[in-house]
Amino acid sequence: MGTQTLNNRYTLTQSQKMMVFILSMSLYGLSNMITELVPSAYLGPIEFSIEYFAFIPLTLCILFHPLYAAIGASLGEVIFGEIMLGQFGGFGELEKFIAFSLAMYIAGTFVRDPKNRKQVAAAALLGVIIHQAISATVDILKVWVGVEELEAVPGLAESVVVIEGFSFLNDVLFSGILFALLPTVYLVPRLYGKIEPLLGMKPRDRNDRYSLTEIIGPRLIATGILLAAAAFLFEFLSESGFNVEWEADFLETYGDWFIFVSLGAAFIVALITISVMLSKKRKTQHLKNAKKEEKVS
Amino acid sequence: MEYTRKFTEKLSVEQVKIELLNTAYGNGGTFFAKLDPRTLFLWYAYFGIFPWFIHEVMVLIGMFLFMLVTTYVARISPLIIFILCLGLLGQGGYLLIASLFFGGDWTSILPLLILTLKLSVISLASITVFCSMNPEKLSNGLLKIGLPGQISFSIAYGYRMLPTLLEEYHHVFQSFRLRGKAPEKHGFLYINTIAYFIKLAVLSFYPLLLSTAKRARTTVEALETKGSMYGFNHIEVKKLKLAGLKMKKRDYYFLAGSLVYMISLFLFL
Repeated sequence: MGTQTLNNRYTLTQSQKMMVFILSMSLYGLSNMITELVPSAYLGPIEFSIEYFAFIPLTLCILFHPLYAAIGASLGEVIFGEIMLGQFGGFGELEKFIAFSLAMYIAGTFVRDPKNRKQVAAAALLGVIIHQAISATVDILKVWVGVEELEAVPGLAESVVVIEGFSFLNDVLFSGILFALLPTVYLVPRLYGKIEPLLGMKPRDRNDRYSLTEIIGPRLIATGILLAAAAFLFEFLSESGFNVEWEADFLETYGDWFIFVSLGAAFIVALITISVMLSKKRKTQHLKNAKKEEKVS
Repeated sequence: MEYTRKFTEKLSVEQVKIELLNTAYGNGGTFFAKLDPRTLFLWYAYFGIFPWFIHEVMVLIGMFLFMLVTTYVARISPLIIFILCLGLLGQGGYLLIASLFFGGDWTSILPLLILTLKLSVISLASITVFCSMNPEKLSNGLLKIGLPGQISFSIAYGYRMLPTLLEEYHHVFQSFRLRGKAPEKHGFLYINTIAYFIKLAVLSFYPLLLSTAKRARTTVEALETKGSMYGFNHIEVKKLKLAGLKMKKRDYYFLAGSLVYMISLFLFL
């Protein structure tokens, strides 16, 4: 399985990345299909549902390279949980994809020693909180942007904020503890050292890790903000028809073109983000490949 | 809880597997299955986005009728329609109840109904398109419009592996049930039973994680042997692989027909 580099940085070969990606995709996809099919129970306004089996991507992000595990899990959700069940939602999915990958990636990089249960527990909660916070903020902001015009439908503005707050707390406390915290703390120490050899790689240990400055560098913060903004724009775009209904005055003063401006802005932001990410990835890939070839020769 | 049990009885694992395979491969003979993936993407790009910007109720109803026809022509499986209806009703109803609770009145029904109409047009369009393409076609189409090879591979892989994975998960789950001890009393609102099943559902992933890891390794090794890793992102390989995709007369007729229908909707309503 390729050459494992001996330096402290945790690096993987192309095939190993693909393995982590496939593993994360198929498992999280499967769990997603199960959670989609299990009906949820309502107790008044509180929904007791299995939101997601977040422990699967969390476990994999902690044990393997977080980036590939996170992207694999998000793609698995889209493929198994959406496309295969015929529920693919277009732009709205992109927001989920970005928010979820980001949260899982951060949770994965947070853990430096997979054997340390406290770190694992903190990371599991952190991942769920980041994900839920992004989605709740996006939903609330969406209403706040159009809040003046929302007077036409009394009670909707408050209700959205309260619903989102409720579902945030509910998801963090219910799904977060039951389906992220407990299973992750149970699984990670048990799988550590067992599952890595099956993929032909050595376990992540205390020494080979991402240095802290690398994790909380300006690059991550910048990409985080950019991705959050993109996520918000996409979600706003996918729901803009919803807001337009109550934004008649706004539309009359600014005209229909405003929609297309926001549409265009969203597209441009997304395009820039994607192209920057792609070019960066390509560059690093080239560098890595070059280095590898040097080493081999 | 009673209806939940009835629901789960009807929805056995076998049934789900059959429905999914049916969704993936069962629609080979329909009109949509014979179209080029690019046609379907183009069509979806319109019907998946533009309903958001249309406010005339009559036009939306016209689009909805069109979607009903296409869904019928595409012979979508009832399970998927059922899941869709559940989702739509849940979302609309939830918002309605919430806004009533906070002092809204029945006037909020109309905007919510329009929203639901839009959502159903969009969902039906995506169902028609994505259920009519078999996995091979979908992944080829995505490759053609420029997505990286890994994604199109993942889709094909997902469709191929899902039945196996689902079966394996089911086996592990059942063997846990065989060897474990179910709670003697259901408890208040079946709480004991539910907790027991949830625990099993989570625990069953532990063996599955290990076996899927093995399977992932085998898959990647097979991919390497076939040179797929090289082929994913090289233009010549793509060209060879996608040589079979061609726009035919049927595609142009379909797009033209949809266009004429939409224009007449805007003109006459």
